[in-house]
Amino acid sequence: METSVTLAGFISQLLVGLSRAMILFIVASGLSFILGVLRVPNVAHGSLYMIGAFAAHTIAVAFEGSPAGFWLAMVCAPLVVAAISLVAERLLFCHLYEREHLMLLLFTFALMLILGDLTKMTWGADYRSIVAPPLLQGSVSVLGTAFPRYNLFLLLVGPLVAVGLWLLSTRTKFGKIARAAAVDREMVGAIGINVSWVFAFAFVLGCLLAGLGGALVSPTISITLGMDHSIIIEAFLIVTIGGLGNIWGAMVGALIFGLTQSVGIMVLPQFAIVFPYLAVVVILTLKPTGLLKSVW
Amino acid sequence: MKRGHVWKASLLLMAGWWVVSALLLPVPAAARNIKIGIVDTYSGPAAVFGNDALNGFKMAVDEINKQGVLGGKIEFVTRDDKFKVDIGLSMAKELVLKEDVDLIVGTVNSGLALAISDAVAKKEKIPYIAWMSKSENVTGKAGHRYVFSTTENTAMAGKTAATVLSKKPIKRIWVAGDDYEYGHALDESFSRYMKQMKPDVEFIGKTWWKVGEPDLVPYFTSIQAANPDLIHFCTGGASMANVLKTIKTTGINQKIPIYIHTAIDYAVLKPLGTEAPEGVMGTMDYLFYYPELSSNQKFVKDFQALYKAPPGFPAFHAYTTAYLIAEAFRQAGKIDREKFIDAIEGLKVDTPVGKVEMRACDHQAVYPMLFGTTKISKEYGAAVATDIMTLRGAEVMPSCEEIQAARK
Amino acid sequence: MLKDILRTSAFPWTAAVLLVLALVPFAAGRFYVYILAVIFVTGLLAMSLNLLAGHGGTYQFHHGVFYGVGAYTAGLIITKTALPAWVALCAGPIAAAAAGLVIGTFCVRLNKLYFGMLQISLGSLIWILALRWYSLTNGDDGIHGIPMPELLSGSVNAYYFILIVVSACLAVMYLILKSPFGTTLRAVRDNPQRCQAVGINVRRHQLLAIVIATFFAGVAGVLFVVLEGSVFPDMLFWVMSLEIFIMCLLGGWFTFFGPMLGAAIMVALRTFVGSYTDYWTLILGVVLILLIFFLPDGIMGINFRTWLRSRARRRAMNTVR
Repeated sequence: METSVTLAGFISQLLVGLSRAMILFIVASGLSFILGVLRVPNVAHGSLYMIGAFAAHTIAVAFEGSPAGFWLAMVCAPLVVAAISLVAERLLFCHLYEREHLMLLLFTFALMLILGDLTKMTWGADYRSIVAPPLLQGSVSVLGTAFPRYNLFLLLVGPLVAVGLWLLSTRTKFGKIARAAAVDREMVGAIGINVSWVFAFAFVLGCLLAGLGGALVSPTISITLGMDHSIIIEAFLIVTIGGLGNIWGAMVGALIFGLTQSVGIMVLPQFAIVFPYLAVVVILTLKPTGLLKSVW
Repeated sequence: MKRGHVWKASLLLMAGWWVVSALLLPVPAAARNIKIGIVDTYSGPAAVFGNDALNGFKMAVDEINKQGVLGGKIEFVTRDDKFKVDIGLSMAKELVLKEDVDLIVGTVNSGLALAISDAVAKKEKIPYIAWMSKSENVTGKAGHRYVFSTTENTAMAGKTAATVLSKKPIKRIWVAGDDYEYGHALDESFSRYMKQMKPDVEFIGKTWWKVGEPDLVPYFTSIQAANPDLIHFCTGGASMANVLKTIKTTGINQKIPIYIHTAIDYAVLKPLGTEAPEGVMGTMDYLFYYPELSSNQKFVKDFQALYKAPPGFPAFHAYTTAYLIAEAFRQAGKIDREKFIDAIEGLKVDTPVGKVEMRACDHQAVYPMLFGTTKISKEYGAAVATDIMTLRGAEVMPSCEEIQAARK
Repeated sequence: MLKDILRTSAFPWTAAVLLVLALVPFAAGRFYVYILAVIFVTGLLAMSLNLLAGHGGTYQFHHGVFYGVGAYTAGLIITKTALPAWVALCAGPIAAAAAGLVIGTFCVRLNKLYFGMLQISLGSLIWILALRWYSLTNGDDGIHGIPMPELLSGSVNAYYFILIVVSACLAVMYLILKSPFGTTLRAVRDNPQRCQAVGINVRRHQLLAIVIATFFAGVAGVLFVVLEGSVFPDMLFWVMSLEIFIMCLLGGWFTFFGPMLGAAIMVALRTFVGSYTDYWTLILGVVLILLIFFLPDGIMGINFRTWLRSRARRRAMNTVR
């Protein structure tokens, strides 16, 4: 079997892995944020990602696939997802904050089941396809090999989101309160801040990120039911190896995940998908609490 | 005492169940309807095929029920397997054990087809007709008395493609596809026939991704770097849409020739609309616009009137299956599984593309095969096949001797 | 030990229930016999998880992995080697317990949520290997038509075999929970720091509990192979593990039989509701939410709490006198 691994091919493959890592990061950062502040792994995170993709499709189609429709979809789909998560949170979730964590986890699992079927009811069982605007279509030439322009776009958006999140959590009042609530919620409540609303904002923000990830990924894949199951396990692993609640940890984890898979495809395509999981096991053996410091 | 209460409750529950289930034991019926159980995919990306098949089947059953079969009608129940083998298998078992169906049809997923064939059809001695799962192993090495196929299979596709492609200047082939039964069957069949017809051809690499893998771009960039003369994509069902989409977004079809079985099928190309990739070579046994036979045109017209869209190959296969079943029962004279099998072997029925035979030696329907290349058609708002070549069924089927040898 | 079982007030009722179950194949159609067998197997799996989750208080989030390991070991040995089936059936639980020991050793170093997340990570590696190693495990297609010895094939024979094995396993589990080890396990669940202070090696107890629980999960896996003759990679998927958790919660995870009841309800829902509607997971999600809000101790848990209250009341009245 012939595998011609040229430098150009290798660089191109790395870049593709990086751009995939950006989507993983955006989704995982939302999960990590919720985990950090509420101390609950949000199992429904994948479902919100899926709804983000479906919503983006509906909005884009409403504008007949025009470029304006695409950008509108990128902005509005995450907002739709945020709205759904707000409803779920205020109606049901917030009543459970006093209960033990296992109940919260099981609630998010129930939410995943319900959202999955609601998605099927709303959008039907067929798959959807959305197209990137002409600006982002086609490919650029990187060292002689073709690199899709849309992936280049993702390489720009990812770090922007990361910086945005970092600014939010360190420079804004909300961010500081959220970090404080993650460490000691009783104290935050004692100084007069409504902890329940802090949790609500954190949950909605995390879910908005999941929806954003779903919207951004939609032109590169076919939007189907079952997207929720595949992304959630990857997001969980990334958050675990990065350090629970740590945003930069989510970035590191996503990079490791994306790069190991993409290099794996080049080296051993059959088992490429095993490489990230192996990396996870190695990291967790050496540093069980994750590479970067956990928030609590 | 609490424990005592629980035990009393469980005892009553068990006794109640006993009584209820005794009452629910099946009652033998007199002249009755023929009950068919359909297990197919109605959610996820492969749902387009499941729904198309169901539409074709319904249309045929309504036509058949006007006359009726053996004094009764054909009725059917459907179950969604979600393209998963474990779900589909338990649905099939439920259909046989609880719903008491007379035969099972269906499934897009070739892995599921083999599982049903083995664990349900052979074990329960109930006929199972695979109308969409194309792995040649269904009627080939895993075939037996109780399994039938009314779909073209990977052997027929592979031989057709090899017949056409061996005449082109192709030396280095890369294989990429879904890591399950269907993907591997496509690869085995095509590679076998290609090697036979053009011995100097080389298979320089194989890439397998998991079924339904969402992000295929890294796989494609890796293949492009190897620069083969032809890429054989072994995909279908859940991943077909993704593969075609990724071909378009990476533009790989403009640099390297591509062959995919079923790439020219309408059910596959329609959802992509004008975004489908052009210049992709494919094989198929049914196209609604070719050949322009009056029987085909009538079928398409009736289908379009009912469902507002032209039929794809799933509808065609399901339609043919319904007529085969009806005719076989009529010839059998009663609703008996063994008599049904004896009657259907060697049976010929009229279909939109002419007479189709259910070959007796392997229970495989004999279809003519078409080879074409995709091109966007403004008339249909989607891609269709052009430069179509036809090969007769007898030319592309494995011989009965080959089948017997494989089944050993 | 046998005398202990015979002397409990529950024994006559247990014997009666077993008798009824033994007579079911004579009264019920094949489908119901099959469904009951599925319930027993799934119930055993849920009971094994409950040893750790309900009675042990550990966040065993990926218990399904051991179920799958047991099933795949048995299936692979039967189909790929010439060893007799009985070897395969015994090797399954041993392999599951070994996997439990290895994964458990990594996990017990951590607490609570970290334990759970790490287990999901390690378990997922096994899942992905089973899914992608096509030449060994047939990947996504699974392995089918696994032949069983004459004694066990056929739905009635399989039913009796499963009934006997599951009853035996439950009896052993009951004894374990009643034993000093069981008491210690519950103490560790309620207050690990105090136990550590008293000199109990918390880690070793948890690890031992994990090995026992994963052994029983492996037994359940092997019984699945006996019943269905197939294995699927989805047995190792995390959704399966969460479903087992729900069964424990549904039935009542501080009670002994709760998980079995939970398994019965889940299987019945899936089979009977699933044939009427495509949206049975929606119904399951709603049921789960109702449970979390109104019935957090599960169905059998209702009685448990009222029983505790009535016992406390009786005691109070006795002391007054």
